Amino acid sequence: MPRAIRGVLVECDPAIKSIIVNIDSDNHDYIIEELDEERVVIKENMVAALKAKLEERLAENHPDDESGSE
Amino acid sequence: MPPKRKAAPSAAKGEAKAGRTSRMSTPGAATPRSLDDTGDDAEDEPVVGDEELQRELDKNIDIFSVDKYKKKHTVREPMPHIFGNNDYSYLDLKKDHQNRPLWIDPQKGRIILESFNPLAEQAQDFLVTIAEPLSRPTFMHEYALTTHSLYAAVSVGLSPSDIISTLDRFLKTPLPEEIRNFITNCTQSYGKVKLVLKNTKYFVESPDPDVLQLLLKDPIIGPLRVQHGDQELTTEAAPKIGALVIPGTGAAKGVTQTSDQQLGDHGEAPKEKDVFATLNEDDDDEQDVTHAFEIADKDVETVQKQCLLLNYPVLEEYDFRRDEVNANLEIDLRPGTQIRPYQEKSLSKMFGNGRAKSGLIVLPCGAGKTLVGITAACTIKKGVIVLCTSSMSVVQWRLEFLKWSNINPEDIVAFTSDNKGSMFTGSTGIVVTTYSMLTQAGQRSYDADKMMKFLTNREWGLMLLDEVHVVPANIFRRVTSSIKSHSKLGLTATLLREDDKISDLNFLIGPKLFEANWMELSKQGHIARVQCAEVWCPMPTEFYDEYLKAPARKKQLLYIMNPRKFQACQYLINYHEARGDKIIVFADNVYALKKYAFKLGRAFIYGGTPQAERLKVLDNFQKNPELNTLFLSKIGDTSLDLPEATCLIQISSHYGSRRQEAQRLGRILRAKRRNDEGFNAFFYSLVSKDTQEVYFSSKRQAFLVDQGYAFKVITQLANMENTPDLAFSTPAERRELLQTVLVDNETAEDDEIDDDLFHRGKKGKKKGTRRTAGTLGELSGGQDMAYIERNKKVNQALKKGKGKQESHSFFKKIGRENARRAVQ
Repeated sequence: MPRAIRGVLVECDPAIKSIIVNIDSDNHDYIIEELDEERVVIKENMVAALKAKLEERLAENHPDDESGSE
Repeated sequence: MPPKRKAAPSAAKGEAKAGRTSRMSTPGAATPRSLDDTGDDAEDEPVVGDEELQRELDKNIDIFSVDKYKKKHTVREPMPHIFGNNDYSYLDLKKDHQNRPLWIDPQKGRIILESFNPLAEQAQDFLVTIAEPLSRPTFMHEYALTTHSLYAAVSVGLSPSDIISTLDRFLKTPLPEEIRNFITNCTQSYGKVKLVLKNTKYFVESPDPDVLQLLLKDPIIGPLRVQHGDQELTTEAAPKIGALVIPGTGAAKGVTQTSDQQLGDHGEAPKEKDVFATLNEDDDDEQDVTHAFEIADKDVETVQKQCLLLNYPVLEEYDFRRDEVNANLEIDLRPGTQIRPYQEKSLSKMFGNGRAKSGLIVLPCGAGKTLVGITAACTIKKGVIVLCTSSMSVVQWRLEFLKWSNINPEDIVAFTSDNKGSMFTGSTGIVVTTYSMLTQAGQRSYDADKMMKFLTNREWGLMLLDEVHVVPANIFRRVTSSIKSHSKLGLTATLLREDDKISDLNFLIGPKLFEANWMELSKQGHIARVQCAEVWCPMPTEFYDEYLKAPARKKQLLYIMNPRKFQACQYLINYHEARGDKIIVFADNVYALKKYAFKLGRAFIYGGTPQAERLKVLDNFQKNPELNTLFLSKIGDTSLDLPEATCLIQISSHYGSRRQEAQRLGRILRAKRRNDEGFNAFFYSLVSKDTQEVYFSSKRQAFLVDQGYAFKVITQLANMENTPDLAFSTPAERRELLQTVLVDNETAEDDEIDDDLFHRGKKGKKKGTRRTAGTLGELSGGQDMAYIERNKKVNQALKKGKGKQESHSFFKKIGRENARRAVQ
């Protein structure tokens, strides 16, 4: 019997896609299908969690990005 | 010298000189400290002292921070949602505010200058004196009013009322009360007490006798005073700039050297256009007398510390014209040497009142720091000791001295590990050496030891400290404690460190006397105009995947070895070589350096390159039109003078080091062709997108951006794909590269700097043999494998080429004849 999962198509830069794949590689609980370099389908209920994780990852490249003239 | 207090009468005479240099020989117990002092613990002592001093400094700085002067103000229409706590609407604008160039932040003491204002130039002259430049982009400059900067202002002779009135004149708003109090309080105690070396005796001097009485009542300073029998303070006329002329300046023309001896003559003082110069002179007239008491040499540091605790930081000055004990040095700038206006300005700060002050002068790389140092030496005309960072700089300094001044070559001596025996023959002279020579711990050779004794046993008029920002405080203290010098001048281009040790220098050497504006110098053509660009190179997916998985160390290698970066580098090299530029490519990582250089077929130099090869490659880079690109590791960052270079590409760097970025930029600032019409030097920084490198890069640029450089971001290099022989253009090649990078991990090490570009370190590191499993058939070529060398070293080809060129004319002639015969 065919099984259906609600998914969301994410289109992004190749770099972001790499990060998403990397986040997924821990538990394989985000991605349903990798389509190509810039597209990936993820589980609908995990979108918010993925967004948060992605933000976190991106912030790592800018450890102290505080504003000000200091 | 009169006998010291409490000194044993029998030992009083003749010991004075020895006591100055070696505490061991100090007779009796002048201070409790000298009793238990032995030579053994002298080495670790400075470190402890450092921490102590630091704590005291911190305490002192707390007292003097702007925060203390905060006040409550009533704001008429509070709009906290917009301004928060920074609502300064209570400061009413003056009616003619449009004509005034300055804004001020009363809470932080920050001053904003509108540099497009007609009065900006005058205001800038003034601000450079009283405040520290933080950021100087094109239209708005930001300055910070700090204790150090006010201290510096006082030390060049500005009085608090001058500062306040001039500031008020330039401000668009009335001067806030907090700032007024801040300035008054800081300047009141700063600069009141001076430490003057006169005829080799230290005097604590002040225009205000009450301050001295206060110091004498102190339980620590009081007993250290050298007694003359009476309790009166020595009183004498205050010094004036008088007829002191800094050689090489406009005023020096036509002034004969004999006028140097006359004091108190205002007639020939160098004319300065600065706003405050006139104020300065008025000030001198008011302070007619100064009062002083004498202290013993060995107590200088104790007194300095104690004065700091009492909130009377001591300024050091050297009255060199009245120093008759130390022999004069025959030195003068060569006739015709004209120093540039900004160099003159910096020196006039140093010799502000006819005495030599200790301090720091900050000039960009290639702007003639050396000449400033030499001119200072020519002004003081006493024994000079020059300290630099490497043995190559020692040679360069010596040559520069010979080039710009008329000093007798025998009077200037280099003291390095290669050359330690010679000494000047006259009564005084110049010694050029390195920091490490003086601070070296442990056993020295006989010659070096003898030289050290010679250096420590005499007094020096001036100590020149090159690249002073690199010297850690404890080394510096060791230098200053072993060498007795009357005044110290620190020279640097980048007065910044990633650790916050810079403020130490303010107390160890002296205040910042002068800091040049990079943009202004480049506009005047003293340094090259530079276009800065950051090139963003996207990471190919397979590299980025590996990057995300990799540990930190590997990450670095991956973003350096990014094939797109490789291509960008190749493209830029091709482009600039076609334009006729000479290119230096910097890579910190030796593994990457070699890969790039081999692949692109260019010459390279790194820590492991033998000396002869380095010189050959450098020589070729300068003269051979065939060799236009040179790959350099970290060793080329500083002390490398290649005026031919006009383009710089940076492929990897030391994390977020602003100093490295500025020093590297310095390599192209002295470009020979800088005065050509419309000439631009280029500085590219290649950055792999979406990696840590982006963050480091933005951090590194901070200093240059503050100096007014604008970095363009290039996201796409046009037509890069069409480059012939583009490296790694196929996915297969890229995969191969990725595999090599992942496998070759262990060999990827940063270049360690043993010495500098010109002298190889002594330790010849040998790599161990590598064992790999394989079959005999493989080794013998039985498995369809053959040996072919693809990535040949260009360096070696150069050597051969050079050898051919240099063949004797006789053989050339034979060669020609043979060729002719063959044709016939």
